[in-house]
Amino acid sequence: MLKKKKRLNVPNLITCIAFFVLLIFMAVMTIVLPKQDFLEMENDYAEKFPQLSAKAVFNRTYMNKMENYISDHFAGRIGWIKARTVLETSLGKQERNGIYILKNRLAEKISEPDYSLADKSAAAINKFAESTEAPVFVMIVPTSAEIYADELPKNAPNADQEKFINYVYGELGKSVSTINIYQTMLSNRDDYIYYRTDHHWTTRGAYLAYAAAGKKMGYDPVPSEMFDIEHAGIDFIGTFYSKTLYDGVEKDTLDFYHLANGSPVTEVAITSDLGKDPEVYESMYFREYLDKKDKYASFLGTNKPIVDIKAENNGGKLLIIKDSYAHCYAPFLTQHYSEVTLVDMRYINMPLKSVIDLESYDQILILYNASSFMTDTNIAKLGY
Amino acid sequence: MVFSSLTFLYFFLPIVLIVYIFLPNRMTVPLGKQKNLSIPARNLLILLTGFFFYAWGEPFYVIIMLFSTMIDYTAGRMMHKFDNNQKIRTVCLIISVCMNIGLLAVFKYSDFIFDTVNSIFGTDIINPVILANRRINDIYNFGLSEDRVALPIGISFYTFQSMSYTIDLYLRKIKVQKSFIGFTSYVTLFPQIVAGPIVRYEDVAAEIEDRKVNIGKISEGIAKFSKGLAKKVLLANNIGIIWTEVKAMDYTQISAATAWLGILAFTFQIYFDFSGYSDMAVGLGKMLGFNFPKNFDHPYLSKSISEFWRRWHITLGTWFREYVYIPLGGNRKGMAKTLRNLLIVWGLTGLWHGASWNFVVWGLYYGILIIIERVGFGKILEKLPAAVSMLYTFLMTVFGWVLFDTDSMGKAWQFLKAMFGAGGSFADSTAKYIFSSNKLIFIICIFASTTLFGKFAMFLRKKKRLIYAYTVPAAVVCVMLLCTSYLVDSSYNPFLYFRF
Repeated sequence: MLKKKKRLNVPNLITCIAFFVLLIFMAVMTIVLPKQDFLEMENDYAEKFPQLSAKAVFNRTYMNKMENYISDHFAGRIGWIKARTVLETSLGKQERNGIYILKNRLAEKISEPDYSLADKSAAAINKFAESTEAPVFVMIVPTSAEIYADELPKNAPNADQEKFINYVYGELGKSVSTINIYQTMLSNRDDYIYYRTDHHWTTRGAYLAYAAAGKKMGYDPVPSEMFDIEHAGIDFIGTFYSKTLYDGVEKDTLDFYHLANGSPVTEVAITSDLGKDPEVYESMYFREYLDKKDKYASFLGTNKPIVDIKAENNGGKLLIIKDSYAHCYAPFLTQHYSEVTLVDMRYINMPLKSVIDLESYDQILILYNASSFMTDTNIAKLGY
Repeated sequence: MVFSSLTFLYFFLPIVLIVYIFLPNRMTVPLGKQKNLSIPARNLLILLTGFFFYAWGEPFYVIIMLFSTMIDYTAGRMMHKFDNNQKIRTVCLIISVCMNIGLLAVFKYSDFIFDTVNSIFGTDIINPVILANRRINDIYNFGLSEDRVALPIGISFYTFQSMSYTIDLYLRKIKVQKSFIGFTSYVTLFPQIVAGPIVRYEDVAAEIEDRKVNIGKISEGIAKFSKGLAKKVLLANNIGIIWTEVKAMDYTQISAATAWLGILAFTFQIYFDFSGYSDMAVGLGKMLGFNFPKNFDHPYLSKSISEFWRRWHITLGTWFREYVYIPLGGNRKGMAKTLRNLLIVWGLTGLWHGASWNFVVWGLYYGILIIIERVGFGKILEKLPAAVSMLYTFLMTVFGWVLFDTDSMGKAWQFLKAMFGAGGSFADSTAKYIFSSNKLIFIICIFASTTLFGKFAMFLRKKKRLIYAYTVPAAVVCVMLLCTSYLVDSSYNPFLYFRF
């Protein structure tokens, strides 16, 4: 029998070798490279290697966890994701994971708000204000997507926050005083009032709102020249960055505003678990976060149910019902109030008055950014 | 497990392939003096890895697959053993077919049946499968669904495949498979177990016994697999995001342009997703030495609905033609019977895609369109300019997808109205944004639906052999790198066939 002489087909061989080398190389690297417990970019814990058990196999959790483990620890993970972002933006896409990519800024894609939820929140605030003696103030802060709406991609869906804020303010009754800082933010849009890579306002932005609110709330704001500004957090990259891993936007700087005569704050007590004793600190600034990714947490730490700040002055007591926007806002108020208490409704699942002695406060401020006011279902708890 | 996952690509696939390549088809194991055991090593590996692959996604209901395989295998052996006794052979066939249809009825259609009965008679009967699941959960806590019957992955594919074996054996078209490993490896063959193509036993009978694996076949398989992966991960997933967004909108408020962009996005998503899966399956089959039948052939270029269904999910159409339409008499028993047969086949085809009235209506919609073509409209389509008949066919499929993927008939109707402006406007800023931020992917999808890429490849292959030869490995590497970067951050990577 004659055997056909076989000629080696070089391109075919290259295809096979390239394919297998790539697969094996990535698999081996994934196995041998050191594993990280915490995904700094996502600000979340990485999946741990799953434990094998009959139950975990049969209810499929073992397989799901294994797939997450491989994805969380895949070799060069961040590089792969960045490559995708670079490719997509260079092909003209200006949106990634619900974040718009603008010229030198990232902004949240906020879809049309659910006005029935706004009605519920407003009704709860009205009910709350009628039942408390202390005057109630509401401040809804527009976010960067609204203030820089003109820089968004053409026709990009973007909720009208001005309309939303005016709607909510219109729903609030006589017992509530509204503080409108929309114009303040808009007219200072050339200033550095929002982070480029994070969803928060900057200390500067918070200062402007604090100054604007003084008249209604009855304090004389400290003039901005009186502050020594410390650029405490350098190269801050925030939550918007984590969602896009887009490197084309300048990193942020996080500032602390200090007064020459020192801080009046004597004690910061943070309650992490309701019913347990709070942990007590001396300062409002948690500098250990400045070396981490989540630098914004250096303002009063991460979100906790209750934060109580005592200050040396003869002002009254202020209660702030808030989202994280209040964390860089509250420090300014320690000039005017002897006690500022921050309450996060997301973590309070019982009537507020059973957790806080509402009677003892002289004023109550409800402070949210527009995006979280649109979606947070916990504000309605104030009505209970 | 799905092909478009890091776990499959970087762990399962290389390990299985490398072991497979170095194994011989049969291995002889000496068992002491003068005794040798001949093991079909590759088939055994396919069986074990297929079992693992399937159980990874369906750890509990894998027993159903094994059960069905054992019954069909035994039915085959019995038919062979009682070759002269037509009665026993018929009984074997009936048992096999009833068992497979029964599994489908219980695990795929029981909720639908009970829902329909309950809504007609106003009763409140609970599906016994759900009661059984609750019992099992009480004892073992396996987390089985206690609300709706969770469809075992791929059940519609492997039951149809197994049936092709017993039916063809009964019709004496094929020879019996005596090896249990051989038959089970056909059913559990991982490339095709979860999403087709529906490989009939006849298609691979010879290859189960003996097959060759060499560099040429492996590289051809790699190229085909990469092509499929690119279709799924780069095209289908990306354009699918648009449909997910539009699908969630309020259909009474959306502009006509938004509705059209949304359903066109789904039109491309389902095609590239499904044909991508088929390409990956065919490619993987090649790497293992199998030749699976073609499943898609540029269906959106069809000039009539009948032609569309000869080019879309070809193996399913073949199955229904071979095992339902022709046994019913096909078109040889007069007009009335032909019409009846067509409606039965298309109703069943619809129902095969999912247990809901939407799918039945979708199937019958095609049945009616095909009947219209049979009674004369087909002749007119042939005479029309190609562009017109192609546009007609494409638009009809697009309307079909509305029935297919809006979750109820009411919604489908609302959506169809929105496509003609019932939402109040022709084009709003949402539509403009969807269009401007996705024009590139739409253009790529349109081109990729045509034969242009294929023709260009053929041109290179014939005229510029050398360039062609090196384009393949380069393209494979690019696709693998791109797809990996999309899979690492896979916030959107759906599996569309969970209802099949």
